[in-house]
Amino acid sequence: METHCVGPARRDDEAGRPKRGRGARSLAWLLVLLVPFFGGVGAFKTSAADAWDEVSRAGILRYANDAEGGAPYIFHPPGSPDQLTGFEVDLAAAIAGRLGLKPAFVQNNWDVILPALNQGGSFDVVIAGIEWTPENRAKVALSRPYFAFGQQLVVRADATGLDSLDALRGKRVGVLSATASFRMLEKHGGIDARVYQDNVNYFRDLESGRLDAVLTDTPIARVNLAGNDKLRRAGPPFAPGFYAVAVRPGETALLARIDGAIDALLKDGTLEKIYRKYDLWDDGQAALTAWKPGGETTAEKHSALKEWGTYLPILLRASVTTIWVTCSGMALAVVLGLGLAIVRLYGPAPARWAAIAYIEVFRGTPLLLQIYFIYFGLAQQLGVRLSAGFAAVIALGLNYAATEAENYRAGIEGVPKGQLEASLALGMKRRLALRRILLPQALRISLPSVTNDFIAMFKDSSIVSVIALVELTKEYQIRAIDTGDYVGLGLMTAGIYFAMSYTASLGARALERKLGHDRR
Amino acid sequence: MIAVEGLRKRFGDRTVLDGIDHRQERGQSVVLIGPSGCGKTTFLRCLNQLETPDAGRITIADVTIEAGGRVDRERQRQLRLRAGMVFQQFHLFPHLTALGNVMEAPVRVLGRPRDAVEAQALGLLEQVGLSQHAGHRPGQLSGGQQQRVAIARALAMEPAVLLLDEPTSALDPELREEVRDVLRRLADEGSTMLTVTHDMQLARDIADTVLFFHAGTIVESGPPEQLFGDPVHERTREFLRSVRD
Ligand SMILES: Nc1ncnc2c1ncn2[C@@H]1O[C@H](COP(=O)(O)OP(=O)(O)OP(=O)(O)O)[C@@H](O)[C@H]1O
Ligand SMILES: [Mg+2]
Repeated sequence: METHCVGPARRDDEAGRPKRGRGARSLAWLLVLLVPFFGGVGAFKTSAADAWDEVSRAGILRYANDAEGGAPYIFHPPGSPDQLTGFEVDLAAAIAGRLGLKPAFVQNNWDVILPALNQGGSFDVVIAGIEWTPENRAKVALSRPYFAFGQQLVVRADATGLDSLDALRGKRVGVLSATASFRMLEKHGGIDARVYQDNVNYFRDLESGRLDAVLTDTPIARVNLAGNDKLRRAGPPFAPGFYAVAVRPGETALLARIDGAIDALLKDGTLEKIYRKYDLWDDGQAALTAWKPGGETTAEKHSALKEWGTYLPILLRASVTTIWVTCSGMALAVVLGLGLAIVRLYGPAPARWAAIAYIEVFRGTPLLLQIYFIYFGLAQQLGVRLSAGFAAVIALGLNYAATEAENYRAGIEGVPKGQLEASLALGMKRRLALRRILLPQALRISLPSVTNDFIAMFKDSSIVSVIALVELTKEYQIRAIDTGDYVGLGLMTAGIYFAMSYTASLGARALERKLGHDRR
Repeated sequence: MIAVEGLRKRFGDRTVLDGIDHRQERGQSVVLIGPSGCGKTTFLRCLNQLETPDAGRITIADVTIEAGGRVDRERQRQLRLRAGMVFQQFHLFPHLTALGNVMEAPVRVLGRPRDAVEAQALGLLEQVGLSQHAGHRPGQLSGGQQQRVAIARALAMEPAVLLLDEPTSALDPELREEVRDVLRRLADEGSTMLTVTHDMQLARDIADTVLFFHAGTIVESGPPEQLFGDPVHERTREFLRSVRD
């Protein structure tokens, strides 16, 4: 009896609270949940005030680089895949040593390494071939240069007449994302620039004929051409530039120490020793000694929203790639998935097993892995050289076919049993019943799931940027890194994605309405 | 026209058909009655091979299938072509119009020319009183209309016999009469029909012979006046009492 009383009494108590009190309470909860998040951000901000104090107290110099960057910067030496070496690894150790610190490597994706630095927290400096350019100086504070490089064109050994940018008009030229080389190609215009995320794969694609040339920094060219008789330098290096260490803006104490350390390493020959070890020392390095501080920064801040007339068309052009990759990929997935579903349900035993294996393998492994496999793996092992766009469509199509097959299977199994029986009773063979009676109904049942997958593929298609296909997300990334306007460009990009997927779902709904057969 | 000898069917260790013998001449309309779960549907489904019997021999028109041994799909199909089936739940094809439902099999299975089939199908729809609804999907039709389309669909294949499983029992009472009407006409025209039903009105109207089915065997058979008026077996009397209440 007592328990009966307690229950309602409590409920009354709660119901007695004014409505607003409830809202305020849940808001308070939300704030409590968010505190660690904001608190965390705040902690980064305060620590950024003077990193040198913290660095010297900890005795550790945390430097960021991207181990995917490859030789000679930072790489796993052949035969010892769990070690890291490279001239920037040695340089980081030398700088840290000069300052009485221990170096600590922090892995970060190269093309977002400067924004990551500015967000603070996990590392203090970037030593990762950051170019001493006005664009970069506008984003971060840069040390005195530690390395002098130039731009180098690389072509296949048998290529002729491709030894200048002018000669490469209309040709496919591989280039690293967010680099001086990329900006140079963009400014030059008329060249089909293919953007890569790392320093290795464009040479593979050049060898295999997917590219006509690569524009890269001299040290990358030097290392990758050593002992490679399929490729050669085309023309002399040009557009000299420097690499420098990046620190967060305003951290003058830390920056001054790094400057001093590099100066000292240059004077006492340590730099020369390191660079000679990697066969990188050349006459160009004299520019390091001659270097004088100064030069202007591009202080101009871009706002993509204000300059939408420039950036919207760029993003829209990239969205065309997203659209055709997605539509073709989905077309492949739909057709292949249907075949798989039918074989899985009705095929003879071995074929059925094969279909099940296919579905499980493609659903159970990452799309990214499959893309690499199809694009690089097939070229390497079988000499099948798919273009990036084609490989992207194949990879998305093969991957999604597994999901679609399961959608169709659910659809076919969702058709009432009486439909097959009625068909058989009319003297139809199973194949005819499947084609004329079961599938048309199954497809209607599967349609909503297929639509969902179609919309999901619009988003998943961004993954194909790893094989140098600039679709919408990649274009966003490139422009955001260039301008620093992650928010404005992000809003535009999100708007375009939304427009695409909303159109797709409107179309699908119209299709569902048209095919709907149970309505009066 | 139909000859069944020693038909047996088991589901697991439950014997549903326990040695059925049945002969039916051309033009005869036979109605099967009996309590729920006694195996009537299973019997019809065995006749057109939607279930595989465990023993016995089935002949419809010129096709004979003997139980046991390998399933011969083509022979099953030949048998089905001679036995039109009308289901309790209609099982119309929801993505096709009424006309499409009727035309589908003659065009796709028999390979007859579309125009000829269309003319015949429209004729059949008219016979069942649905010429107005030829272009409607099943979802737009009432239950009685759907069942009449299903009958037209079966007739379009010009089967030797028509098997009907409770053709009126999924229908509201006021819709039953329109289906009974069609079936009366078919029986009068001399179609060979085997109808399972709990609708005693329908049984009286269309049967030349009524079979009383119980626990997987045929307990009693006779013309409707005799079986309904003066049944021989106690079980039959019990059953008829229960359906009258
Ligand atoms: N596929 C099946 N598997 C197992 N048991 C089945 C199957 N089909 C029917 N049965 C069983 O066989 C028996 C006969 O079923 P059947 O549908 O033939 O009866 P019925 O006479 O048509 O009954 P009703 O008048 O209710 O339609 C029932 O006990 C039923 O549960
Ligand atoms: Mg039944």
